[in-house]
Parts: sequence; C-alpha cells; structure tokens
Amino acid sequence: MSRAPTPRSLLRRLGPVPWLAPAVLLILAVVVWPVAEMVRTSLRRIDTTGTDHGPAGLVKYRKLFADPRLPEVLGWTVVWTVAVVGLTMLLSLALAQLFNQNFPGRRIARWALIAPWAASVLMTAIGFRWMLDQVAGVLNRLLLDLGLIDRPQAWLGDAAHAKPWLVFVAVFVSLPFTTYTLLAGLQTVPAEVYEAARVDGASRWQIYRKVTLPLLRPAFLVALVVNLINVFNSFPVIWGMTQGGPNADTATTTVFMYMLRGYDVAESAAMSVVNFAVVIVMVLLFLKVSRWNEEESR
Amino acid sequence: MKRHATRMTRTKRHSARTVLLAATAWALAALFLLPYLEMLVTAGRPADQLRDNGYLPAGFDWSSFTSVWSDTTLGQNLQVTLIVAAGSTLLVLAVALPAAYYTARVRFRGRKAFLLLVLVTQMFQPTALQVGLYREFFTIDLLDTILVLVLANAAFNLAFAIWILSAYISSIPVELEEAARIDGNGRLGALWRVTLPLALPGVVTAVIFTFIAAWNEFIMGLTLTNSPDRQPLTVGINNMIGAYSVQWNQVFAASLVAIVPVVILFAVIERHVVSGLTAGSVK
Amino acid sequence: MKRPLLALSAATMAGALALSACSKGSGSGSTSADGVTTIRFVAADYGSNGQNPGQAYWQGVISAFQQQNPAIRVDLQVINWNDLDTQVKTMVQNGNQPDILQTGGYADYAKNGMLYPASDVLSPATAGDFVPALAKAGVQDGTQYGVPFVSSARMFLINNALFRKAGLDPANPPKTWDDVTTAATALKKAGVDVPLGIPLGKEEAQAESFIWMMGNHGGYQDAGGAYTINSPANMATFTQLKSWVDAGLTEQSPAAVNRTDLTKDFASGKVGMLNGFPGQLGDLRTMDVSWAPMPGKDGVSPSTLGVADWVMAFRKGGHKDQIRAFLDFAYQRDNTVKFDKEYNLLPVTRTALDALQTDPDEKALQPFLQILPTATFYPLSDPTWPGVSAQVKTQIGTAVTDPGKALDALQQAAVQAGR
Repeated sequence: MSRAPTPRSLLRRLGPVPWLAPAVLLILAVVVWPVAEMVRTSLRRIDTTGTDHGPAGLVKYRKLFADPRLPEVLGWTVVWTVAVVGLTMLLSLALAQLFNQNFPGRRIARWALIAPWAASVLMTAIGFRWMLDQVAGVLNRLLLDLGLIDRPQAWLGDAAHAKPWLVFVAVFVSLPFTTYTLLAGLQTVPAEVYEAARVDGASRWQIYRKVTLPLLRPAFLVALVVNLINVFNSFPVIWGMTQGGPNADTATTTVFMYMLRGYDVAESAAMSVVNFAVVIVMVLLFLKVSRWNEEESR
Repeated sequence: MKRHATRMTRTKRHSARTVLLAATAWALAALFLLPYLEMLVTAGRPADQLRDNGYLPAGFDWSSFTSVWSDTTLGQNLQVTLIVAAGSTLLVLAVALPAAYYTARVRFRGRKAFLLLVLVTQMFQPTALQVGLYREFFTIDLLDTILVLVLANAAFNLAFAIWILSAYISSIPVELEEAARIDGNGRLGALWRVTLPLALPGVVTAVIFTFIAAWNEFIMGLTLTNSPDRQPLTVGINNMIGAYSVQWNQVFAASLVAIVPVVILFAVIERHVVSGLTAGSVK
Repeated sequence: MKRPLLALSAATMAGALALSACSKGSGSGSTSADGVTTIRFVAADYGSNGQNPGQAYWQGVISAFQQQNPAIRVDLQVINWNDLDTQVKTMVQNGNQPDILQTGGYADYAKNGMLYPASDVLSPATAGDFVPALAKAGVQDGTQYGVPFVSSARMFLINNALFRKAGLDPANPPKTWDDVTTAATALKKAGVDVPLGIPLGKEEAQAESFIWMMGNHGGYQDAGGAYTINSPANMATFTQLKSWVDAGLTEQSPAAVNRTDLTKDFASGKVGMLNGFPGQLGDLRTMDVSWAPMPGKDGVSPSTLGVADWVMAFRKGGHKDQIRAFLDFAYQRDNTVKFDKEYNLLPVTRTALDALQTDPDEKALQPFLQILPTATFYPLSDPTWPGVSAQVKTQIGTAVTDPGKALDALQQAAVQAGR
C-alpha cells in the first residue's frame, strides 16, 4: 500500500473508465447532446435567417398541434410503419425459407439479394422514381404493355397512387437485411431437430409451424425491432421519391420534420421531440419484449 | 421391388422440387437486380433518348461514366464519402474495441448501464435527431466540416460495433488469454496478441458494416454540410436531381459507381454476414 | 501497454481534426498582409447543365474587375437554387455570411439589421439607374436594402399550331376564364395532352398561384400588408382552377408538377396554353407561339407578375467600400445586358432596358420589356414572406383538390409566421 502506484495498478484502480470512456464520450457528444439541444430549440423563437429572438414557451408546440396536416401525417406514419414492417417480415420469412434450401447456384442467388442492401437507399429510391416517371418510366411502359393501365400514370403525383409505391420500395430495401437475419436464425436450428420431427411423421407445414417458427423467434424479434426502428425513422425512400409531397400528403413524421425545418427550425424541433417520444416508447417496449433485465441477471 | 420404386419416385419428386425451388429463387434474385440493371441501361442511354420510353435505347453511350465526374461536383463528393467512411470506421474501431473487450471480459459495476446505453443508442437514429444534431454543431461551430460527418457517423455506428465485437470476444475462451497473461503479457498484450487475432472475423464484419453504413449515409450529410467539397456522394446525387435539367444518365452512372465498392465488400464478408448477424443480434 | 491503443485513437482524432481544419470555410473575407482585401460573394446559379455557366459569367466579371482593382479580390461561390437558401442560412447562423449575396429575397436579413442600406454600397449613379418599380420593391420601412439584380415577368403563352388544330384563333387569345374553359375544352377534344398547364409543384407554385389570384383582383396581402390568402377572391380563383383540373383540362395532379417539366412539355408540343416566362424563348425559337396578357375572371388581368432576384450586402465583414466598388462595376450596362441576354431575363436598370429595347436580336423580348415597369411583385419587403413563400410553395398545390382547407391552413400559417 505504501509504495507509489505503478502505471499498471493505477490503470487497474481506474477500472472500466479508460476502456469505456471514449465510447461513452462519443455517445454523449453525438447522441445525447442533440436530444437536449432539440428540446431547447423547440422552446425558442428562431426566424428564417436562423436568428434567435428569445424564449417561446410552448408556442411552437401549439403551432405544431394546430397544423391541420399533423393528424394525417401521424396517421400515415402508423400505416407506413405497420404496412412496411408487416409485409417485410412476412415476405422475409418466405424468402429465408426458400434461400435456406439447397439448390444449385444458391450462393449467387443470395448474393443478388444483397443488392438493395449494398446500394444506398436514396439511390434505390431515386431509381424507382425514375422508373415511375410519367413519360420515360420503364414501369409505366411495362404496365401499359401488360394492359394493366390504359395511359401512362403520374404515379407519384398524388398520395393515393404514391403511397403503395412508397411502401413497395421500402419493403424492397428492407428485405435483404431481414431475410439475412432470419437465415441466420434458421441456421441455428440443428438438423437433428428436423430429423426427429420427420421421424415422428410430421408434415412439412407442421414442422415449419411447430419446430421452425418457435426456434426462429429470437431472430424474428430482433429483425422486427430493427425494422420497426428503421422504417419509423425512414427518410430516404420518401424523400427520394416524393419529398413528402404533394404538400405533406406522403410525409411521415421524420420527413415532415425536415420539411418544417425549411421555414421554422423551432417548430421542426417540436416535431422532433414528439417523434422522439414515440421512439422512447418503442425502445421501452423492446426492452420489455426482450426481457432485458432477466437476460442480464441470469 | 416396391421399396425400390418408392425411392425412385421420391428422388424424382425431389429433383423436380429442387428445379422448382431453384427456378423460383433465381427468378426472385433477378427481380432484386432488375432496378439496378435499369439504372445501368439509363446510365448508358444517350442524352437525347432520355425521354424515350423504350425498354432499351437505340444505342448505348457510356460517356456518362466519365462526363459525370468532370461536369459535376460528384468527384469531390466521392472523395468526401471515402474520407468520411474510412475516418469513421477507424474511429469506431478505436473506440469500440476497448469497450467491447472490457464488457465481454469483466463483470463490473455499471456494466449493465453501459450496455443499456449502447442498446438505446442503436435505437436512436440520426434521422430522428437531425434537428438536434444540426443545432448542436451549429452551436459549437462544426457545421459543414468533414470532421462533423466522421464523428456523427462513428457515433451512430458505434453501438452495433460494440455489440458484435463483444459477442465475438465472449465466444473466445478466456483461458487462452489467461495463458498469455501468465506468459508475462498484460491484459492489453493478451488482447493484442491473442484475442484480437481470434476475433478478426468479428472485427472485419464490424468494420465493413460501419464502412457501408457511413458510405451510404444521407440525412446527416444533407443536414450538416452544405459545400460541395464537404458533402458526401449521396447528397451530391440528390442535389443533381434538384438542378435545372436532371441528367438521369449521369445520376445513375454515379450511383452505380458508388455501389461497386460496397458490393465488393459484401462479397468479402458474405460468409460472415449471416454469422455476424447471429453473433451481433441473435443471441 | 496502454499506449498503443490510446495512441491509435489519438492519431485518428488528430487526423480528423486536421481534416476539419483544412476543410473548414475560411470565414469572412479579410485583408491580407499585401494589402489585398478579399470579399466573399455568393451567387445563385441561373442555369446549369452541370457546366455551371453562372460560374463562367461571374468569373469573367470578377477577373475584369480585379484587373482594374488589384487591391480587391472577390471570392466567388455559385450555388444552385435548391440549396442556396439552406446553405446561406447555415453561413449566416455560423456568422460566416458572405459580403455580397445574390439570391431571391432580402427582407428577413434586412429586418435583423444585417444589411447595408443600398445607398451605402452603390454610387448615386448606379442607385439612380434602377427601374423605379423594381427599386421600390427593394424598400423596407423606408430604406432600400434589396438591390434588384435581374427580373422577369409572366405572360400567357399559346401554342398556335394546337390552337388552329382545335379550330381556335390564336390571334384572339382567351381574355376571360370562361374563354379559357372554352379554349381548353376545344383543345382537349382535338386530342391535346395538356390543354391548360398549371404547374403548382413546389418549384414555382407561389408564382403560378399569384398570377391566377391577380386575375380576380386577389393576392397574398391586402393594401395594408395583412395576409389575405383565404380571401373570397382567392377562394373563387382556386375553385375555378379546381373545376379545370376536375374536368381533365389540365395536366394530371398539378400539385406535383414543376414548371421546368411543364415548359419542357410545352416545347415538345404537348401543352396548349400556360403562363410563360422569357426564359422559355430559347426553346421556342422555332415554334409558332403567341404571348398574350393574362386572362382574368372578367377580362384580361390588370397586372402581371414581376419577379426579381436581389443582391444584398452584409455588414458583418465591414467591407462597404470594396462592395461598392464591385457592385458599381458589376452593374455596368454591358455586364447586365450580357447576363440578361444569356438567360433571357429582364433587366433591372434603365440603361439596360433601353439597350435591350433597341437590340434587333431581342425582338422576342419586347412584350415583356413593355409590361415590366407596370408589373406587380410579391410582398418582398415583408420579413415573414420568405417563410410564408416556402410554405405556399409546398402547400398551395393541394388547393386545387380542396381550396378551403389548403387556403385556410396557409392563411393561418402566414398569420402565425411573424410569431
């Protein structure tokens, strides 16, 4: 005790600090601080030049909630999240099952599946916007040739036409990650389990329902949560295809907050805070579902 | 005889099924590639045929792949993307590795709190925090710099890296390390000489995931930078669409060039993607 | 043993810091040791095929200026219109504003006291040369801050060939909204894709709307400067537009169609009539078209929309004299005429107006040059206008679906904009 501390014992006494401090600092600086800044900004009066004219109290929140577009934006955000995540999960279950089978060229086929994951979502969205162009869009041409439409459509011109396409593209870019996660889950199921079930005379469908699905549950849950977060926060799909327009008819809360930022950064911050509250609720739900505490105390 | 016949039909049914499976899977795979093929076709469309709606142009003109770099700022944007992706990947590694190692190896007070912080970070996305990020970096006067993109990209990819690295390191028997420590290495020496090489697949996966995420990042580039020489490629491409007349052939030429490195990286870790996801998430 | 890792992360940070140090903007202009003062100039890009000709024009002006004024260096940044607002906003928020800015509006900067009065940065000769209607539009609370840079005006544009095909007389263009209905219906019968183009997409919806509002003596504000976006006159205007949309006489979903796209369609012969602007003249050189006064509810519209872009000088850098030297140079007749001709824009100075009116190459521009002095402008001096205009751009297109809802929402937003 009486000798001077060697560097090593000093290091030991500091315990986790030197190991964790950089990570914690980075998180505090870039993830936690903005949250505080967001709340602060939502309570200020800031004009179009960015000049701060003092505290605004809850004015910006009142202005936000008085915006007649807000209910529709919130409603569409819910529909968007549920539809995209639901379809993604369903389709991915099928895709994962398919790509888990043995067939010639499986590796290359799986590889193709990665494309939408590797490409920036923005670029894929822009690609679809181009394919849906009223004059030059190849999808318009294809649908015409197939006799499904009788004249080229402005698919992204109004919300009713644009929304299904937005969902389609969002599902398209979400499938690779989800499918791969489920594939990973499928590969953790030992072959003997299937063998045993088959010996018991179970049908394919029975095996899938009674054996595969339950074992896939952890992977499924993870994919579900990651998708929920991603899709709820999704920006590039909608921005790349409709910029949330016309008006805010195809904007989700995240796109809407970006639109608001164009003329009132404080109101945009108020929208962010509301949006953030939703994320918090989702995180809490996840922690509950994943039984974080039990997992750790085990 | 009878038994033999059954086996015959079974094999036949099997192969028929395999063919069907393969056909479906191949068709689906092609479907996933089609949008990118259409981008390629558009990139090769001569400028005067861009408003034609034929499936293929009368002839291809691949000059957009070179002209896009001289006509626009995308060359600069590509440089920015490279620096940001590389810089944030290095930063993530430098920060995540010690944290992942320590949490994997040592049960300490506050471990749970730290892991919770990491998990929650993974749930928060830059999109949701854009206004706060913008105001923060405005306050500390870091807007429109490459540093801000490096820091922000690193921070938002840190959680995944810690998660995946921690999982990998946990799976390496602690005895190996202890042996190394008995041989006179400190904890860091053991980490450096024994654990790290064994955890290399995890490190590679974390590195590539971070790199790809930073490479494709859009919203932070859009909100935090505004000069062409500090904006990433995604933002540069988005800006092209706002210009007076959209040169779609150049837009897609640049987009495709941007995809290439990512596809190569994915090819490198294809085997690890599945196991990486298992280790990182499906625990 | 701790050193290697720490050293690694420190090196990364240091590298990143160095990067930022060399890439961060150099701040406002300054005087260097050799007595050369640098002023920063941010300008909008008036047309780019990726080649950035706006850059070329300004480089030419600047190098000529610098030759005459070796003690002043002009640092130029040309930014496209879509990014200009946000980028300038960021610069201003960072206290990194340029000395001279050329953009679409000045009112909010002027209101915050960031700008020099025009008289401080223009010689009396230059200041006295502006077309009065334009100079007046640059005045806020009795002082001129906005220096007009270029202007433009709108007129009703007709495709003569399509009119004849539909049995209409292009020499007798529609004067009232009823005439428009009749003409559009005939054009539709004749198989014209878009009988009447009303581009209400984000790009220029505020202009398109304003033009039609004026046809019914409406507008964004009343004479006292109070917003009247949902006035009965404007409601009637949008009800009329809606009836044209509903009857299929316009393009599909006007709220998502931008002016640029529709003018391209006009040039390729798909559109019968629309509100045109001089910038189209280049594309229309070989086409048989007529320019007519804007049809109004009961007769041709009393006024037309004039738009202007502005130059303003920020106080922050303290480079009043250098700015004046540069602006006096840039506003010389030959420079402005060259720019106007290059982009088919209208002049802002009387000398340039005279020059263009007598220019035999610019016959096509004459109808616009004649109406320019009488044009009506947006409420440009109102500091809330930039914000309101941004909202109008995204929202007013949906007024052709539900006029009451969209206009009420905009009125509410406009009234709140000052708070």
